[in-house]
Amino acid sequence: MAKKIVQLLAAAGATLLLFWALSTSLGPAPPLGPLLNPASGFWASANQPEENETITIPGEALSDSVHVYYDKHRIPHIFARNTTDLYFVQGYITARDRLWQMELQTYAAAGRLSEILGERTLAYDRYQRRIGMGYAAEQALASIMSDPQTATAVKAYAAGVNAWIDQLRSAEYPVEYKILDHAPEKWTPKKTALLLKYMTYTLAGNNGDLRMSNTRAYFGDDFIKKVLDTKTDLMEPTIPASKSWEFDPVQVEQPDSVFTPSVVEHVMPYQPDPANGSNNWAVSGSKTASGHPILANDPHLNMTLPSIWYAVQLHGPHQNVMGVTLPGAPAIIIGFNEQIAWGTTNVGADVWDWYEIQFRDSTLAEYRHDNQWKSTRKRIEEIKIKGQETFVDTVFYTHHGPVVQNFPGEPMRSGIPKYHAMRWIAYEKSNEMKYFLGINRAKNYSDYRQALQHYKNPAQNWVFADSSNIAITVAGKYPAKWNEQGRFIGDGSDPKYDWQNWIPFDQIPFIKNPGRGFVSSANQNPTDDTYPYYLDDEFAPFERGRRINDRLAAMQNITPKDMQQLQLDTYSYHAKTILPTLLNYLQADTLSETGQNAYRELTEWNLKNEGNQIAPSLFAAWWDAFYSALWGDEYGTTDLPLEWPKRDETTQLIKNDSTLQWIDDVNTPQRETLKELVNRSFHGALQNLSEEYGPYGDSWKWGYVNDTDINHVGQIPGLGRSNLFTDGAGESVNAIRGSHGPSWRMVVELGPEIKAWGIYPGGQSGNPGSEYYDNMIDDWAKGELYPLWFMKNQPAKNDSVAYSIILK
Amino acid sequence: MLLALFIAVTAWLLSLFLPWWSVFIPGLIFGGLLGRSGGSSFLWGFVGIAALWLIQTLFFHIGNDGVLTARIADLFSLPAGWLVILITVIMGSLIGGITTLTGYLFRKVITN
Repeated sequence: MAKKIVQLLAAAGATLLLFWALSTSLGPAPPLGPLLNPASGFWASANQPEENETITIPGEALSDSVHVYYDKHRIPHIFARNTTDLYFVQGYITARDRLWQMELQTYAAAGRLSEILGERTLAYDRYQRRIGMGYAAEQALASIMSDPQTATAVKAYAAGVNAWIDQLRSAEYPVEYKILDHAPEKWTPKKTALLLKYMTYTLAGNNGDLRMSNTRAYFGDDFIKKVLDTKTDLMEPTIPASKSWEFDPVQVEQPDSVFTPSVVEHVMPYQPDPANGSNNWAVSGSKTASGHPILANDPHLNMTLPSIWYAVQLHGPHQNVMGVTLPGAPAIIIGFNEQIAWGTTNVGADVWDWYEIQFRDSTLAEYRHDNQWKSTRKRIEEIKIKGQETFVDTVFYTHHGPVVQNFPGEPMRSGIPKYHAMRWIAYEKSNEMKYFLGINRAKNYSDYRQALQHYKNPAQNWVFADSSNIAITVAGKYPAKWNEQGRFIGDGSDPKYDWQNWIPFDQIPFIKNPGRGFVSSANQNPTDDTYPYYLDDEFAPFERGRRINDRLAAMQNITPKDMQQLQLDTYSYHAKTILPTLLNYLQADTLSETGQNAYRELTEWNLKNEGNQIAPSLFAAWWDAFYSALWGDEYGTTDLPLEWPKRDETTQLIKNDSTLQWIDDVNTPQRETLKELVNRSFHGALQNLSEEYGPYGDSWKWGYVNDTDINHVGQIPGLGRSNLFTDGAGESVNAIRGSHGPSWRMVVELGPEIKAWGIYPGGQSGNPGSEYYDNMIDDWAKGELYPLWFMKNQPAKNDSVAYSIILK
Repeated sequence: MLLALFIAVTAWLLSLFLPWWSVFIPGLIFGGLLGRSGGSSFLWGFVGIAALWLIQTLFFHIGNDGVLTARIADLFSLPAGWLVILITVIMGSLIGGITTLTGYLFRKVITN
């Protein structure tokens, strides 16, 4: 008997042990039982039904039935009889394909990732809270909700998302919920506001004040003037120089003396990515084969799976519009309707400034401003952490904005000074939804301009075309600044350093139907120096913008195919400008065999950044080595975070003066020449390439070196696509650079019958088990754009719809 | 054999409305009711859940051309998708075997 009891206890113990082991999370891994069991584990997330069906939404949420037709790319075409139903179903349908991504993005925006991922993301969450993302989203939400039209849209969208969530059984959750062991949360309009401010963070979150201040303190004004203020001859501003500014600018008071901020130490060096960007353009009918304008746009963003974009057509009583949406927000973001088309690129204007604050004492309760002690406001941030106690953080707000770091220890982020307050455009009340709803319904140029008045941030070059007009507006809300205001850390106590006023909407740079027959932008300087306001010193290098303008100026009888080809253009204006100089100084006669091969490749190069060529790899490696040899010694003499010269500035400097003082290596007693630098960096480049890619040969081809990975949006291993072989580079129009690049390519031909093409590197489904998760990637890499099926009416019975659903 | 069939069918029915841990229940019940010896109880419980989970995983695996299985294999740094099936099936069969054995031993103790 005793033996049997022992046996039973042993077996029962083993059962319990097994149960415990399979329901417990080991390290970052999820519990295996819930994840692997076939009934409700990841297996059950494998398939998405693709059947014609009629879905009844409980609670009579819809006032009429709504038809959704999926085409062969699984783009939904939504036909609704009223606008509320339209946005409800947009929310429902988007959640059906992209729910986990929608949630992740808003958790990331709000600084709530630790609720899902535990302590490892606490520093990130804390940073998001401290730069005031929650505060910014509250401001945006208040604006959205104060307008009946936008309030209705975001509420209907939220209700649609929630209708999808409510009918989900846990076995049907997207696989990421199972891998990370969490569950969907109710969607709210606040989350849409968070998503929009997350875009502001992504696109208007760059600020160089700290690095510029340190550079001025360390190298002096002279260095800034001679190096960082270098003008590049080839820069063509977004608004052509011929535009005249016939208005009286708003006046602002400039401080009497230049404020010298204290040097900010103990912050890790950080260099912003100067190659972030996008392209858009529109050509007028005088230059096209059809006689009607053509518009093209390819926004360059971090490319992920699922993609940041989700393609949809919205057909309602007041609109028939198609394009890409941001999962989490109603309406089309980039697209076209039956009359117009629009697209965007980022404007890197300086709308994030730092102020040195003088606090009365260590409680931070009061700070000096305008010769008075003013009170700070405290905002308590509670950060929930999975499996741990809630972390409570107190953020102090001045009238400028929050004090991002006021505690000792490691800086929150590189480039964040301590006891400094930040001022950011995202804190302003703004309702970008109003713009998007307006542009979705716009019929002509005046509707476009009308809608743009509501567009505040992140500032964008919104390009426009209808059947006879083209236009571009450097749209956004900009503080009216005195020259170079906010280029350096400002004096937080002097009101003259405050943002005193705003540039009025009609003084914001724009142009309609210019004489050259096209408008374009590629993140370059918005205007030339005659524009009476200071927007920033730092915009993208000239290369992409210049190439687009050169090509468009030369082209006639343009077809949509020509515009697609231009999006794929891999020409390197950078190499065109500097490679002859480099080759000129290279001692070719004494080169090794590899060196001679490389030399020959470069001299015969057609200057195209094509994947199957070796020359782009050689040039990129050579330039990198040359750039570090030129600047690395000077910048290496300090640990302070400094502003580095841009690619096109460096190129211009070298071309202007081959005996530049910075060519000398400050670490050696002798004086180096440009020739020595060029030769040394050439050999260094070959060395670097062989260390990374083996001996000279096919493994050096640019497609391998540029190495495009499209990772999962939550960085979950296995759910991305690695090692794509592509053409393009950061300085080319086709700006594929590692995991960054054309996140959506669109070409629209205007006219009585609108025709459009588009593709993005991903797939409509967010389900990693679906063939539509990544099905467009290969065609995108090849440079193909799909003709988009823009339905005027509901499809007929014999049209090739993949499947359709009816919601009631 | 019959024991395995009872266990598999019951486990499947329970999984339709109960969470994943319901797979622990049928072995405990049918091992207690039908188990003949320790060895055979373990074996039929093992086989019962193994068969059920193999059929279910293959259904999903084949249904989406093994795409998701391959991705999950990648997630766990496994070289091939079939290893995920193998691990899942082994996990299930161990649950089936041990619970059925426990059920059988429980009956032995209380009927004694």
